[in-house]
Amino acid sequence: MSEATANVWAPRSAWAGYAKPGRHGRTQGDAGVRLTLRDGIALATVIAADGQTDALRALVSERYGWTLPEPGKSQVSRERGLVWSAPGQWLAVAETRDALRELPDVFRGIAAVTDQSDGRAVVRVSGPNARTLLEKGVAVDLHPRSFQAGRTAVTSISHIGAQLWQLDDAPTYDLAVARSFTGSFWSWLTEAAAEFGYEVEQGSAH
Amino acid sequence: MRIRCPHCGERDNGEFSYLGDATVVRPDGMSASSEAMHDYVYLRDNPAGLHRELWYHGAGCRSWLVVTRDTRTHEIRDVSSARDVALARHTGDAA
Ligand SMILES: [Zn+2]
Repeated sequence: MSEATANVWAPRSAWAGYAKPGRHGRTQGDAGVRLTLRDGIALATVIAADGQTDALRALVSERYGWTLPEPGKSQVSRERGLVWSAPGQWLAVAETRDALRELPDVFRGIAAVTDQSDGRAVVRVSGPNARTLLEKGVAVDLHPRSFQAGRTAVTSISHIGAQLWQLDDAPTYDLAVARSFTGSFWSWLTEAAAEFGYEVEQGSAH
Repeated sequence: MRIRCPHCGERDNGEFSYLGDATVVRPDGMSASSEAMHDYVYLRDNPAGLHRELWYHGAGCRSWLVVTRDTRTHEIRDVSSARDVALARHTGDAA
């Protein structure tokens, strides 16, 4: 009995039971898409208190050297930063949860901070066909003339709420969905990626 | 039809939900007459032409918007944040 209980509460990847590391889809040639499961990523929503956006802007600039991202923009360098997500709201991202632990104290009185690390599933989409793949499901123009590194979009993919942010010009994207939608989202993603051949790999764990 | 969200840019209307008339203002429930409440809750104009209406960008930035749309052509003349519209209305009341 106690053993069964311990198993129920064991940490479990958001992608467990859906994603299998390895090569899938089209078998000829190099894989066109790489899907990196980002289980270790830390996420937190940062919501500015009424009238405190300027104070928040000054604080993140002074303490972290970041520009508070304008609507549709993100500032992520070396896997750490802020991604705009709604008026007065940002998503703080970091490679480890320890990196975000200080935020509630740092932003006290200026912004509300809510941990989302276990609430979203994040996958990194890269490879030569990454953009073509996402264009099959994202109703936002991802062409470089209108969407580049440092841009983000909150939108829906296959009727599933999703946020994506572009990290570099390769292009590489990080894409987050609510954790309970992981299975449905994965079935869209892998169905769409199959024609290019895709490689699934585990990102760093926490 | 596409709606240019002031926060997210131009998006497919499937990302939005329609609520209704943005011109009605809720009377003070404690002092308003039952006629005024009836008017607010039930009675709507049905203009052939420009109409101000509330839309919610649920699949995007989760903001309420006031969209000015021509009901004859679906042409959208203006999209504003409902928060800004409400704040401007209160400022107008105070002045
Ligand atoms: Zn929006």
